[in-house]
Amino acid sequence: MGRKLTNHPLYTIVFLSFVLFVVIPVAYTLGTALFTDGSFGTNIQLLNLDTFSLLAKSCIIAFFIALLSTFFGTILGFMLYKTNIKFRNIFKILLLIPLFISPYILAVAWKDFFFIFFNDTNLISSYIGVILVLTTIFTPLSMIITGSALSNIDAQLEESGFMITSFRMVILKIMLPLIKPALITSFVLVFIFSISEFSVPAFFGVKLFTTEIFTQFSAFYNHSLAILQSGLLIVICILLLFTEKQNIADAPFLSIGSKGTDNKLYNTKNRNILSLLFMFGWLSISVVFPFIILFVQSFKNGASRFIQAFELLLPTFANSIGLAFSAALIIVFIGFIAAYYSAYQSGTKTIKSFDWLLLIVFAIPSTILGISLIKFYNQPGLDIIYSSYAIILIALAGKFSFISSKLIGNAIRQIPNSLDEAAQIEGISSFTRLRKILIPLILPALFAAFIISFIFSLGELGTTIMVYPPGTEIMPIKVFTIMANAPQSLTSSMTLIVFSVTLLIISGFYFLMKPLIKNYGFAND
Amino acid sequence: MIDINNITLSYGDKPVLQDFALNFESNRLSCLLGGSGCGKTTILRLIAGIETPEKGTIVIDNKIVTKDGQILIPPHKRNIGFIFQDLALWPHFTVYKNIAFGLIERKEKNIKETVLKMLDFFGIQEQAEKYPHQLSGGQKQLVAISRSLVLKPKILLMDEPLANLDVKLKRKILEHIRNLKQSRTLGIDLTIIYVTHDHKEAFAIADKVVVMDEGKIEETGTVEQIKKSENRFVQYFLEY
Amino acid sequence: MKNICLKITFLILLIMTGCSDNTNEVVVYTSFVEIFSEPFLKDFEKESGIAVKAVYDTEETKSTGVLNRLIAEKDNPQCDVFWSGDPVRTIVLKNKGITSVYQSPAANDIDPVFKDPEYHWTGFSARARVLIYNKTLLEQTDIPRSIFDLAKKQYKGKVAIANPLFGTTTFHIAALFTVLGDEKAKQFLSDLKNNDVVIATSNGDVKKRVIKGEVACGLTDTDDAFEALKEGADIGVVFLDQQEIGSLIMPNTVCLIKNSPHTVNGKKLIDYLLSIETEAELAKSCAQMPLHKGVKTPAGIPSLDDIIPMKIDYDKTSQKLEEIQNYLKEWAEN
Repeated sequence: MGRKLTNHPLYTIVFLSFVLFVVIPVAYTLGTALFTDGSFGTNIQLLNLDTFSLLAKSCIIAFFIALLSTFFGTILGFMLYKTNIKFRNIFKILLLIPLFISPYILAVAWKDFFFIFFNDTNLISSYIGVILVLTTIFTPLSMIITGSALSNIDAQLEESGFMITSFRMVILKIMLPLIKPALITSFVLVFIFSISEFSVPAFFGVKLFTTEIFTQFSAFYNHSLAILQSGLLIVICILLLFTEKQNIADAPFLSIGSKGTDNKLYNTKNRNILSLLFMFGWLSISVVFPFIILFVQSFKNGASRFIQAFELLLPTFANSIGLAFSAALIIVFIGFIAAYYSAYQSGTKTIKSFDWLLLIVFAIPSTILGISLIKFYNQPGLDIIYSSYAIILIALAGKFSFISSKLIGNAIRQIPNSLDEAAQIEGISSFTRLRKILIPLILPALFAAFIISFIFSLGELGTTIMVYPPGTEIMPIKVFTIMANAPQSLTSSMTLIVFSVTLLIISGFYFLMKPLIKNYGFAND
Repeated sequence: MIDINNITLSYGDKPVLQDFALNFESNRLSCLLGGSGCGKTTILRLIAGIETPEKGTIVIDNKIVTKDGQILIPPHKRNIGFIFQDLALWPHFTVYKNIAFGLIERKEKNIKETVLKMLDFFGIQEQAEKYPHQLSGGQKQLVAISRSLVLKPKILLMDEPLANLDVKLKRKILEHIRNLKQSRTLGIDLTIIYVTHDHKEAFAIADKVVVMDEGKIEETGTVEQIKKSENRFVQYFLEY
Repeated sequence: MKNICLKITFLILLIMTGCSDNTNEVVVYTSFVEIFSEPFLKDFEKESGIAVKAVYDTEETKSTGVLNRLIAEKDNPQCDVFWSGDPVRTIVLKNKGITSVYQSPAANDIDPVFKDPEYHWTGFSARARVLIYNKTLLEQTDIPRSIFDLAKKQYKGKVAIANPLFGTTTFHIAALFTVLGDEKAKQFLSDLKNNDVVIATSNGDVKKRVIKGEVACGLTDTDDAFEALKEGADIGVVFLDQQEIGSLIMPNTVCLIKNSPHTVNGKKLIDYLLSIETEAELAKSCAQMPLHKGVKTPAGIPSLDDIIPMKIDYDKTSQKLEEIQNYLKEWAEN
């Protein structure tokens, strides 16, 4: 269906805007940084064996994190989405908490934990520490991905398995193969997230590829080498996504079910206590311990630090929340347009290239995205963008539209085509079909994409700190700049406050949206 | 009424129809009978205009609606109803809204009256405020048929709509469908094309049967003619 | 859908116009601790009526944000004044041609050692490099008095320094190289390494490790040390090498950005920061030693009069720093 782009004015506008506002700046800077002054020639020689062995080391670490996260995530996903284990709905929410907290904070809490209880931080300040902390952070992500895939399995497939073989074999030979796309998606996403994570290895003093790039940036100010090195990282991410693109595209990850397949729940029976122990154990490790440390540090000298932290952060709330809100709206809009045309007009070349552009910008390290935007937008004529919040919105839209388009795209793919075709035959215009059929059906996914974009935008630091307009107060930047020299109690207090505010706003959104989502009467649970 | 001429169409590398030709007469109930993957659903989608052939024309009421890879008349101007295999009831609309939606969007008058009359005809007026997931299989079926008929189509395309129903229900609904043709209560003349893999279903309702295999027509005729066919494939197909 | 588009456009416009153009302003980027720098900028705003727009960053992450931002903005500067917690970064900017000349009258009586010979930057309120030690882990008699003591066997594995690739620590090492000469300095560093020195991520991290007792002592800056004392940590502070090479003094530095949009206001802000009053306040709030003569300091805050400073040329030391960076990277990582 190779229709011309002019047939889709909305799509064309969004696509061209994305190219104009995000892709061209990045391409422009990367191009000039790499190829001017012959720096490419000199820098390519610096990519020596050491660079590649470091890259290999980073890959191995990321591999273990991805493997462990997917392993534990699948176990948790199975227990929470496929069994009737007690308190499962509470667990489902509590276990997600690490995703909302800056990895740096968790690293700090963990180190203090090791120091308080073992009087030794050597164990945690190592590759093992990086793996441990990042695994606890990314396991919830794997849990949602595999969990929703598990609950989408048609119960009959499992039941017919029971006719032939044991419970264990049904899990191994039927259920796990069925959710293979989700397992791969989980592995690949966690791998990409962890290989580009900087704050945790930096805090533990572990030398990895991201810390090396950072050194080039901040000790040597060698932009073009840093960009070249990031290029390697981007290539790895893209190769991984490319080899598994088919699987990832098909994986119903993070989908909020609307198909309404029967989800079969198992009784944990005699393994009940064991399962609960495992749940509580994981909850303790990933949430309770770090939080105890944060609380102890915040309040060990009374509440005054907490109040001080609140006063410091107060002026940032309105700004940051407004920004994250606008950014989330834009991100969901771009994600929706990209996903919609990709699902309904598959095959058109420009549409495929939109998917790829979203992906590539997503894989660019924050600092490089920041520098690209500065170099491009800091021109006399573009002041309206560079010296306003627009630059932050552009940065956030560039960073997170990929995730939102994936989320929404998977939801759209779950809606049977016939629902749209039936309306088409009745003579409903494509705009009305979008408004009255498709959007209401994927509303839960749109909402989820909005919330996730909101959380990410609210916490984004790496790019925002490069481009935020002078004189504005932004929450994560405030926390970050104060954290450095402030007493631990202040830092912990600020973390708790940021966390509570995020949680409060999300709950607010949820209660506002709940009646809308429930009304359609097909919500899965 | 409906002429399909020299249609060629493939999905990817896999040819589905090649130089395919077939015509349907008006006010008749024709059945396309064949095993899965024989191209019968594709033919319905071509007539509806939600599938575009690479080559060939489709003519409805002496008007060329599709020609060589181009949709000349879009689906909704063809005056057809389509009942999908999965029924495609909109899960977020009530039964009433599912049926009324097309009328509302077309800004018709007396919508409520029209819809209620339709619900009444099929005996599902009590389900009006329910959502699709709250209905039984047969009720869903009737809602899907009502939804199509309420827009007064001249052609009704049905894609194995009864595949998952029990025999009793199937009979009841087939009865409804047969009555539809002669029905003047609803004030419509109907040409029905019914796709199925079940020859008993076909024989129960069809005026004309077309037996297909791998994108080719093996035999056409009345029920009696098909039953007596000498064609090896037809004989084989009817044995089961 | 059109409606949504319109709403979003409107929202964006609203946000944009929210920060309307105000020409009576000054833009300052700073890597000096936000809690301490912000009050001065607020006061300046009040006194002068010039709106201050600040971008903060921290030394903890080596000021990557502001410094790379200043470098990237070179062709169309947005910033007027850069206030750095140390001379290293201002000198980097000078070498990249990003700073401009300004000889502030407010700094006339500051020792020329703390100023750029070409007036690209001016130093004020200084920190010194000090050793802090955990009082429960080190007896009074065991306290190191010279930086060279740290390579002695009795402190094996008990000393922390921050990553020498960054911040004041790099400058400290570079200063040792200029004072001692390359050979001696390298010998000292490898002795340190052989003595299992702990490399922390930052000076703040050194402080934390000493307070918690992970290590017995470590090198850090006076402000970190006094912050720890204020929090009631059980540590002691030592100015090293008072008999010989002296302690390294690290002034804050401020510079005017070349082609800055509000040059006049920028100069006013620089004058304000270089004033005696600012130095007195910084001594009070974060234990910075004034460079003006005769500034009253609170009790407990050391004065430059009582310390033997390391005698170095800051510009040359910065050059040395660039020379030894690759060596330091090698040293820190292996």
